[in-house]
Amino acid sequence: MVQLEDISVGDELPELQRPGSVRHWSRFAAVNYEFADHHWDDEVAQAEGFPGAFAMAPLLQSLVYATLRSWLGEGGSIQEVNIRLRSPFLKDRQLTCRGKVTAIEKQDDGTLVTLDIEQTDDQDIQVATGTAIVVLQT
Amino acid sequence: MEGNSVVVEIASIVTDEMRSIVGKEMRRVVSYPVTAQDIRRWVIAVWYPETPPRQYWDEEYARQAPAGSLVAPEDFNPFAWATPEPALDGPQVSQTAFSEAELGVSPPAYSAFILSEINTSHSGIAMRPGDVITGLYSITKYFEREGRMGHMLYTTLTQTLTNQNEDWIRSTDSVFIRY
Repeated sequence: MVQLEDISVGDELPELQRPGSVRHWSRFAAVNYEFADHHWDDEVAQAEGFPGAFAMAPLLQSLVYATLRSWLGEGGSIQEVNIRLRSPFLKDRQLTCRGKVTAIEKQDDGTLVTLDIEQTDDQDIQVATGTAIVVLQT
Repeated sequence: MEGNSVVVEIASIVTDEMRSIVGKEMRRVVSYPVTAQDIRRWVIAVWYPETPPRQYWDEEYARQAPAGSLVAPEDFNPFAWATPEPALDGPQVSQTAFSEAELGVSPPAYSAFILSEINTSHSGIAMRPGDVITGLYSITKYFEREGRMGHMLYTTLTQTLTNQNEDWIRSTDSVFIRY
């Protein structure tokens, strides 16, 4: 569990990695009712202008939460997560989720820590970018 | 021409009918009571192939954790598969999808529908087993531009979740592209 006194601007969160696999995506589909054909069928995805079947956006968002929670441990709370999807995360590629502390602001009811978020695949293609704010009790 | 830039007129596909529903409640969804097993399934799926944090699946352990009991992670979806409201009366479409037709308005024709942006704010109040969650949905913005795939309609769908005590849990603006 990260401690507030150990956090500095510029700190990088431990990376979280996930393979782009149907084993993972099907599990997420089963809990989020996420069965659009472009996540499973390359031909459907290609007809929509994508190189092939790609991961669900809510799963990419959930992996941002997992990255933050892995770092936070059981403490703190996640106040905001904002992501913009830049490129599809394609099947059989490897996703890396990163976070970097950009600001620390002490307030009366806790300390706000702002982070930049980035997800890239193993071909260095930027999949998603964004920001997050977490709150740690002082 | 404006300065050195060229202003290109885009023929809008957003009708007056579509504009008239911006900000109006499009859908109200009420969950079945959240269960510990719903939460376990969610975290096991998201964290696969890693073991998810223990506070999300071990009730005894969670009682000693800062939350004091088993809680759902902030991204948990309480509405997947079936809800009592609207009642399940046939095959369901993905609940992340939407259509203006839900308010009696003709949607634009499109061949693809993808999510491009997700912006979520949280209150810090967690969803817990036994909670009944209400979700209110509305279209809050239309935006159009020409893109790689032709004319693209960006639509912001805002979802607000509250619990049975009317505590605000979270709000999400999801930006969908139709083309």
